[in-house]
Amino acid sequence: MVEKWNITVKFYRQKQGEKPHDQEIKMDVNPDENVIDLVERAWALHDRTLVFAHACHHSTCGACGMRVNEREKLACITPVRSVVANGGTLKVAPLRNFPVISDLVVDMGELYRRMDLVGHQPVDSDREEAIQPEFRPAGPAEPNEDFMRLSDCIECGLCMSACPVFSSTPDYLGPAVLAGAHQAGLEKNPLLFKLIDSATGVWRCHSAFECTAVCPSNVDPGWRIMELRRKVIGDRVKTLFNPRKPAEVGK
Amino acid sequence: MIETGSTPKQGETTILWLIKIVTGLILLILATIHLIMNHYIGSLGGLQTYSDVVRYYKTWYIPAMEAVFLVTVLTHSLIGLRGIILDLRPGEAMLKFINWAFIVLGMGFGIYGLWLLIIIAGR
Amino acid sequence: MNTQSNFVVRAFRWFDPRGRSLSGWGFMIHRLTALGLTFYLFLHLIVLGQLAQGPDAYDNFLKSTESPLYKIGELSVVAAVFLHGLNGVRIVMTSFGIAVPRQREIFIGAMVIGLVAIVIFGIRMFIG
Repeated sequence: MVEKWNITVKFYRQKQGEKPHDQEIKMDVNPDENVIDLVERAWALHDRTLVFAHACHHSTCGACGMRVNEREKLACITPVRSVVANGGTLKVAPLRNFPVISDLVVDMGELYRRMDLVGHQPVDSDREEAIQPEFRPAGPAEPNEDFMRLSDCIECGLCMSACPVFSSTPDYLGPAVLAGAHQAGLEKNPLLFKLIDSATGVWRCHSAFECTAVCPSNVDPGWRIMELRRKVIGDRVKTLFNPRKPAEVGK
Repeated sequence: MIETGSTPKQGETTILWLIKIVTGLILLILATIHLIMNHYIGSLGGLQTYSDVVRYYKTWYIPAMEAVFLVTVLTHSLIGLRGIILDLRPGEAMLKFINWAFIVLGMGFGIYGLWLLIIIAGR
Repeated sequence: MNTQSNFVVRAFRWFDPRGRSLSGWGFMIHRLTALGLTFYLFLHLIVLGQLAQGPDAYDNFLKSTESPLYKIGELSVVAAVFLHGLNGVRIVMTSFGIAVPRQREIFIGAMVIGLVAIVIFGIRMFIG
């Protein structure tokens, strides 16, 4: 028999130029549904003006990132049971640190531009460095250009929303972009060194590790930022003993 | 495009960050010693009177250690505070002012602290 | 992105406790203790100027700090030093790529050690 719960869902509502407010809707739910199912039902049965983004329903597109009970989640893989109890209240709000376009949809254009800037690719070859050690597949350690895989990062923006530094420092490249730079590979693009070794790059991170805590795709941006720091320090030590020739500096 | 209005020149943050880390590690030891000796050990929990302080600073290595502590703690705190201010995106002119103000503040309090140490150690 | 707010509003966002993980609280503790300790450092140095004025001035000043309120303040400084220092160890380790996947456990360990140290100092200060 299917379990039935009755909960209250509080939707953050805001249209452009208006002040935000909460809209409460009482809903009968199956606790094994995902939060996105509730949002879709609220739109279909209660209020057709509710704006939200969704596409794949299986955590590959990164469109349905939102805050569920204040925490950044992909609504499509967040079971109702994991975030509320029977009779309780569930709060659904848009991501932080991005301008709200309408209700649950935010403008992530700047994030996409920055991801392009660091050369993040939606697919990646099986470069060992692009994958965390614990997720590396068994097999040849050599780069295998024939074996392409979807990049771990789905550009959902959850990490950018959770980062407390990005909340006060919009110039900060942010965890997704730095992780993208790491995945793209510094050795492929020396200009990335200049970009990340700056006051708006890896040195702005203050180790809150919120990015890693909310990442739904095991990108582990916190780990990647620390890896970038190690590379930058390594490069600085190397150039200290073996200064770059003037011709190389401008590259 | 990414706004880079208040970005200090490349590399500056790496060196400052490394200094912050190194001074932080030194402070871990020196601050613990400072806290225990000044605020914990002693008849009533630390250096409770003027004569306690003078007696404690008679041993030559104590003022030397406290001098290193003073310099490292000033360096660490001012670089750290500058980092926090950088999170608030100060403009170019403001950052320049902060840089100079912090250098003056650090040097000023450093000289004042060392002067105080010499006075006490000499009594 | 969120560029419109003034610096006070943006500074308060660091301490927004909504939806924070354990290490996010670590960031808040680190920043709060950093600001508190920096303020205290300069206050401490200024107050120590009394030492230069001789025994009477300094001992009179010390007498005025014997109230429980001062003791609570002193213990707060000790607590801030331990929490900031121990959390700092985690930050240094992870910054060099050491034990990054274990940073949460290291944070819990650091805070437990810190709390024990604070309790020991507290007992010494208030009970003797």
